[in-house]
Amino acid sequence: MHLLKKTALSKVHHGLKARMGDFAGWELPMWFTSILEEHKAVRSRAGVFDVSDMGRGWVSGRKAGQFLEKVLTRSVRRLKIGSSRLCLLCLEGGGILDDLWVYHVGVDQYLLVWNAGNTERKLGWLFRWSESDPDVTFKNATDDTAMVAVQGPAVCQLGSMKAISNLPRFGHARAKIDKFEVFAARTGYTGEDGFELISSTADASPLWGFLMGQGVKPCGLGARDILRLEAGMLLSGQDMDASTNPFEADLAWLVEFDKRDFVGKTSLLEIRRRGVARKLVGFKTKGREIARSGYSIFKSGQKVGTVTSGGYSPAVGVSIGLGYVPVELSTVGTEIQILIRDKLVSAQIVNRRFYKKGGFNEPEGIQIHTGA
Amino acid sequence: MNPKEYKYTREHEWICLEPGNTGKTGLTKYAETQLGDIVYLDLPAPGTQVEQFEKMGEIESVKAVSDFFAPASGKVVEINAKAIDEPKLVNEDPYGVGWLVRLELSKPSELDALMSSDAYDKYVESLSQEGSE
Repeated sequence: MHLLKKTALSKVHHGLKARMGDFAGWELPMWFTSILEEHKAVRSRAGVFDVSDMGRGWVSGRKAGQFLEKVLTRSVRRLKIGSSRLCLLCLEGGGILDDLWVYHVGVDQYLLVWNAGNTERKLGWLFRWSESDPDVTFKNATDDTAMVAVQGPAVCQLGSMKAISNLPRFGHARAKIDKFEVFAARTGYTGEDGFELISSTADASPLWGFLMGQGVKPCGLGARDILRLEAGMLLSGQDMDASTNPFEADLAWLVEFDKRDFVGKTSLLEIRRRGVARKLVGFKTKGREIARSGYSIFKSGQKVGTVTSGGYSPAVGVSIGLGYVPVELSTVGTEIQILIRDKLVSAQIVNRRFYKKGGFNEPEGIQIHTGA
Repeated sequence: MNPKEYKYTREHEWICLEPGNTGKTGLTKYAETQLGDIVYLDLPAPGTQVEQFEKMGEIESVKAVSDFFAPASGKVVEINAKAIDEPKLVNEDPYGVGWLVRLELSKPSELDALMSSDAYDKYVESLSQEGSE
């Protein structure tokens, strides 16, 4: 029998009568009241998500930094204590195993946060490179902690966030929210300002209740998926995986070819030299039908690619999505069609940052970036 | 509450018989709740002939797409233009202003094969019990 994993907030979600669903083996809320209401709360005020499905682990030891330099596509050497950066974990052939956040928390101490799903393979791969080294230790803290994301333009105006509202973007610190000890980072996956908070599992439910009491709206994965898609952020395992490389996935900015050697470097240099045949693009449809993951992309009656993420965007007013097309069709403005069940629906390739916040820490002011 | 005078299908459509052998159809409250925010309706053009339990349209919510089956055979005489413009009406009032298709029934006796509101209530209850196990 296959049982879904439950987060520390499971009882809270059921108590709120959330619609629950399966996400990468975790039972998580898809929505509480309505995906559109939750989306709006995050774009206009503040929402809170249970993101405990994301993996969390500590890397420490004398050679912790050296080890991360070896397995990740970006250098962590210049990453200051108190800051963080997004990196890729690539296979030797250049395929993307995951994207993960690295937080430099102290001397020879790093926190890694990775995506749910395929965890055994990812961790197995990561620690194949550390096993032999007694100066690197890894502790998986996923089951001993909970994690929530508090996102939206009004988050920093909440009195309880005062202590961390001076953190710079990507900055992090240990902090106290009300009476709860947390690890707080000014990061997120929505295109809005906000924090991700890691707490003990025991504090998860009272912290969630406290945030709700402050007017923060509980939000589910449905809203989270639209918010990240509008912000042009990729979902690991769906928009990129071991069969795609960073150049195809438009993530070349996450690969640093400096002097250091790292897993996949030789292949990635070769891929960069050769060039790629297909590329990830953003698109928006002209009709009101919704393009969804797995649908085919057509050009002149021929199938040329596949949608990897798609959905209705309240900010754009039509369906938006991501997908792979041949490089020669990847230019912004190119007309394509999406096969939505039995209909070919017109769509256009646009800049994938569908939604742009007015500026960091500015309330509301939704700007639509069509790229046209 | 599901209206007493309506008839229901296992696929969560309702039909309400009107004077002159027409029937108004729509989606049930249960289906609306399952789908969540509805954002697009693809309904058959007036004049289309439909057969009972065959697909006559599609309903898209933010999360999913669902087929809409004809509760009875007949000819489409009207579709709810207001709901097409504003699909959230189906969420707000699935048995009233959120109706979908009006049919001129060719075999009104087909309605005998559908569930009464009591039977449908029990059916939905059995589904939610399955879901919670």
